Amino acid sequence: MPPLDKCPHAKPFKQRKSLATRMEEVAGIRAKFPTKIPVIVERYPKEKYLPLLDKTKFLVPQELTMTQFITIIRNRMSLMPSQAFYLLVNNTSLASMSQIMTEVYRDHKDEDGFLYMTYASQEMFGSIVANFFNIDF
Amino acid sequence: MDAATLTYDTLRFGEFEDFPETEEPVWILGQEYSAITERDEILSDVSSRLWFTYRKNFPPIGGTGPTCDTGWGCMLRCGQMILGQALVCQHLGRDWRWAKGKRQKEDYNRILNAFLDRKDCCYSLHQIAQMGVGEGKSIGQWYGPNTVAQVLKKLSTFDSWSQLAVHVAMDNTVVIEEIKRLCMPWLDYAGATAFSDPDVVREVNGYAEGACALEEPAVWKPLVLLIPLRLGLSDINEAYIETLKHCFMMPQSLGVIGGKPNSAHYFIGYVGEELVYLDPHTTQPSVEPCDSGQISDDSYHCQHPPCRMQIRDLDPSIAVGFFCKSEDDFDEWCMCIRKLSGRRNALPMFELVDRQPSHFTSADVLNLTPDFSDSDRLERFFDSEDEEFEILSL
Repeated sequence: MPPLDKCPHAKPFKQRKSLATRMEEVAGIRAKFPTKIPVIVERYPKEKYLPLLDKTKFLVPQELTMTQFITIIRNRMSLMPSQAFYLLVNNTSLASMSQIMTEVYRDHKDEDGFLYMTYASQEMFGSIVANFFNIDF
Repeated sequence: MDAATLTYDTLRFGEFEDFPETEEPVWILGQEYSAITERDEILSDVSSRLWFTYRKNFPPIGGTGPTCDTGWGCMLRCGQMILGQALVCQHLGRDWRWAKGKRQKEDYNRILNAFLDRKDCCYSLHQIAQMGVGEGKSIGQWYGPNTVAQVLKKLSTFDSWSQLAVHVAMDNTVVIEEIKRLCMPWLDYAGATAFSDPDVVREVNGYAEGACALEEPAVWKPLVLLIPLRLGLSDINEAYIETLKHCFMMPQSLGVIGGKPNSAHYFIGYVGEELVYLDPHTTQPSVEPCDSGQISDDSYHCQHPPCRMQIRDLDPSIAVGFFCKSEDDFDEWCMCIRKLSGRRNALPMFELVDRQPSHFTSADVLNLTPDFSDSDRLERFFDSEDEEFEILSL
């Protein structure tokens, strides 16, 4: 099992800033870049296999599809095509790959104006008790 | 280790409750049963599935490795079960039933033989564990549903008997064109050469005809479609539950591999709000075929009522499986999935698309880089900030 990366931010973005600050930030950036969508991409805190991204805040072209967006992130992390990678919108549902960013934003944007996404791979299965006995294999 | 195994297994054995007597339909791998009038049929269907569990005292993996997979092999065993079900569907049919002590067809022995715990068997624990090294898993490490799916895909290329086309659909997307190319590769060759040198076409046609004369005309390589998913972070998003149930209702269903946190299970159906599964967490002695080639197969069939668990306790990391024996079968599956995604109370777990969006394969998207002129413009705006936006441009 790879060691966990050092987490640069202990708390998720939403907990680091007040709602008012976040709303202000979105208003400012939307005024400056009206055609781009402010997206927060964070790693699932219990994720053990995928690396951390060096950025959490992205400004994404409206017409970018989810497929394209995921390809960018997969490439950033240098993942093999066969590695599991999932992007969950608002911590709950898998993003539909053919949707474009504006559609995802329309359906799922937060009250602060950001679109939140969390990435994770898959859990591994085995029994902790017995694995203890197998540790020197 | 034996002490630990014993405790674990003893704990497990008290759990077999009888099947509930309920009006709700029972769905097992695409087949519907009544829990009141068809109890024997349910148990016969369940015990006919190949049940792969932990085993002990098999030849060491890689010559010097483990001789027992208790504690780490559960997802590998679930992978064997879902692939075993595909082979049963292909060679024996979905309606085939096992009976204790009854002499089975040669094809049955051939299937079972592929899963024995020996290095020379195509889908043995030894093969799966060793092929996993290429997926970054050392022998004895835990697998996820995607890990075992990727390994099975690789191993299937060495199975010249079954000629399966194993496809693992990544990024929760199933691309129809990709699957048709995989299952009918000869069409692709014909299509590609039709536009090039006519001589080449003739040659290819000649070769194709020759090949057809040798064997039955190739129509469709039997498809094993595995779709690894993550239906939530720590818990399954309840909006997916109806869709998940529907997977067990399709005639192409191979069930689902997944589990509860830390324990992998092979889910074969559901009743009400409960999933029905085969559990690999019982350590049995490994089996050697006897000199006649017959395999004593009792321990490869689960002869007690199957385990059940609440759907909402399912770990969100799963892989859903389907088997399409013919092109028609696959087309029907596509239609079913499309109909299902139109329903209001069922959130699709994956997307079905005709072809890979062209931009996905184009190099453009790979070169998407931060727009530095935009970054410059941002400087004033965020110079008091600890973190900046990364700006993506098309």
